[in-house]
Amino acid sequence: MSRPLRRVVLVEDHDLFRAGVRAGLEATVEVVGEAASVADAVPLIKELDPDVVLLDVHLPDGGGQAVIMQVAPERPGVKFLALSVSDAAEDVIGVIRAGARGYVTKAISGTELTEAVHRIADGDAVFSPRLAGFVLDAFRGGETAADPELDQLTAREREVLQLIARGYSYKEIAGRLHLSARTVESHVSSVLRKLQLSSRHEITRWAAERRLI
Amino acid sequence: MSVRPLRLPVALPPISRVERDRVVAGVCSGVGEALAVDATLVRLAFAFLAFASGAGLVAYLGAWALLAAPGGETPPRGRRIAGTVMLAWAAILALRGLGLADSLVWPLALVAAGVAVGTGAAWLGLRERPAQVIAVVLLVAGVVLFVSQNTTGRPSSFVAPGAVAVALLLVVGPWAWRLTRERDAEHAERVRTEERADLAARVHDSVLQTLTLIQKDPGDARRLARRQERELRAWLYPDREPAAEGTLAGAVESAAAEVEELHGVRVEVVRTGDAPLDEPAQALALAAREAMVNAARHAGVDEVSVFLDAGDGRVSLYVRDRGIGFDPETVAPDRRGVAESIRGRMERVGGTARIVSTPGEGTEVELELS
Repeated sequence: MSRPLRRVVLVEDHDLFRAGVRAGLEATVEVVGEAASVADAVPLIKELDPDVVLLDVHLPDGGGQAVIMQVAPERPGVKFLALSVSDAAEDVIGVIRAGARGYVTKAISGTELTEAVHRIADGDAVFSPRLAGFVLDAFRGGETAADPELDQLTAREREVLQLIARGYSYKEIAGRLHLSARTVESHVSSVLRKLQLSSRHEITRWAAERRLI
Repeated sequence: MSVRPLRLPVALPPISRVERDRVVAGVCSGVGEALAVDATLVRLAFAFLAFASGAGLVAYLGAWALLAAPGGETPPRGRRIAGTVMLAWAAILALRGLGLADSLVWPLALVAAGVAVGTGAAWLGLRERPAQVIAVVLLVAGVVLFVSQNTTGRPSSFVAPGAVAVALLLVVGPWAWRLTRERDAEHAERVRTEERADLAARVHDSVLQTLTLIQKDPGDARRLARRQERELRAWLYPDREPAAEGTLAGAVESAAAEVEELHGVRVEVVRTGDAPLDEPAQALALAAREAMVNAARHAGVDEVSVFLDAGDGRVSLYVRDRGIGFDPETVAPDRRGVAESIRGRMERVGGTARIVSTPGEGTEVELELS
């Protein structure tokens, strides 16, 4: 399958890890720039205007959210994929609420990361099993929500998330639920939108703790 | 000795004489600038005070002696003290000139002097302790004088204790405040030091030990690194740690940790919700452990995914690998692992176990309690 070349900027403060990511990415993804801090990353991304930014959640001078908030207004076309070893739900939810289109843990393989970059560049969302778990937690329970359209998951979305949490790929999920891969992707994108816009208590609490609202 | 320009105890900007639009020595312009009022007003005030036994003139001379030259150095100590004394003298002249009785003016002067010495000690070039003693003596003298001069049945007698309190507060307040600040800073520093020591001990006991072990036996690096990672995570993100031993999530996570440790595979546990570790839950955790062990042993993979979904009285748990898989039909029905440890366990507590496997694609074990 031939794929367009994707230009990627890597923002991560550990040299070793940057080298590892660079080496692991396949030929369809080109790392055009690297930065180790928020201060370096913001002008670099604005200058290079890449397809995707691979963004560490934790950076010494502010974190991934700071980068997104400074870049996104001027470069709406740049998409962000959060990359972290963090297990803290509020870190992950925080960076997604700031505008990242996905979250993967650093243990991800090079092939999977390449796949994730393409998916993000195509405008879809990338949920790791862990993020799916956080989201299911956040939308758990029948709290009477202000906006049911945004504050609740549909049964199908829940099903898709559960399969992601169980370690299924999108393609496997499509096969299992007798859907097209495209439909699975649109369910995931819809969950991402809800995660970013919902005013559900659990999510806004996380966001408030990270001073996002 | 470096001395700041005069700062009144209340928040006023530092005053100095100014060159620009000065008439005599720039005192009025300087005061006007510092107080953000027109210099002409200040000049009028001085002129008005000059009629009160010449207080305005004395005050002007005192201020000239006291204030720094335009853009220049603070005047030497002798000049500062002289200036302060002249200002005080001017104040006394002014108060008397404006018709206040001596019985009020002199105690007031003593109290004011006490406050000035107490708060302006550094600026006047006095040492802190003696200055405070002098200040307290002056204050007490002022109050005593006031009380002795005004005790002929006038209602002002109850003003005296208030005056003492205010004066003491002004003198002792800044000093006490600074002491408290210093103590807080010391406390914060001590807490920081303790935290650093705790961190150092933690890193030494865990990370450094692990690194040493890896250097000795690189073959074991993967398992050691994974164990270290798990320990550090538990420490760094305590909120993701299961609520102690007593819950299902806790049991599943420690089972996963054991399997990782014993079989050198990565077991990634994702969970939403939790449940108490009652008897059925215990059985489920043991069945899950068995499923993880099977995956680690037979699937030929280095990662196993576990997803625990608990809540609303239902528990589902999935153990999945992308390994070689098997054909469930061909497994001998008496194979103990699957038959007894997983299915039997679940059925005895009223749950179900389902095993889905496709050769070449992997295996998933689903355990359910409802």
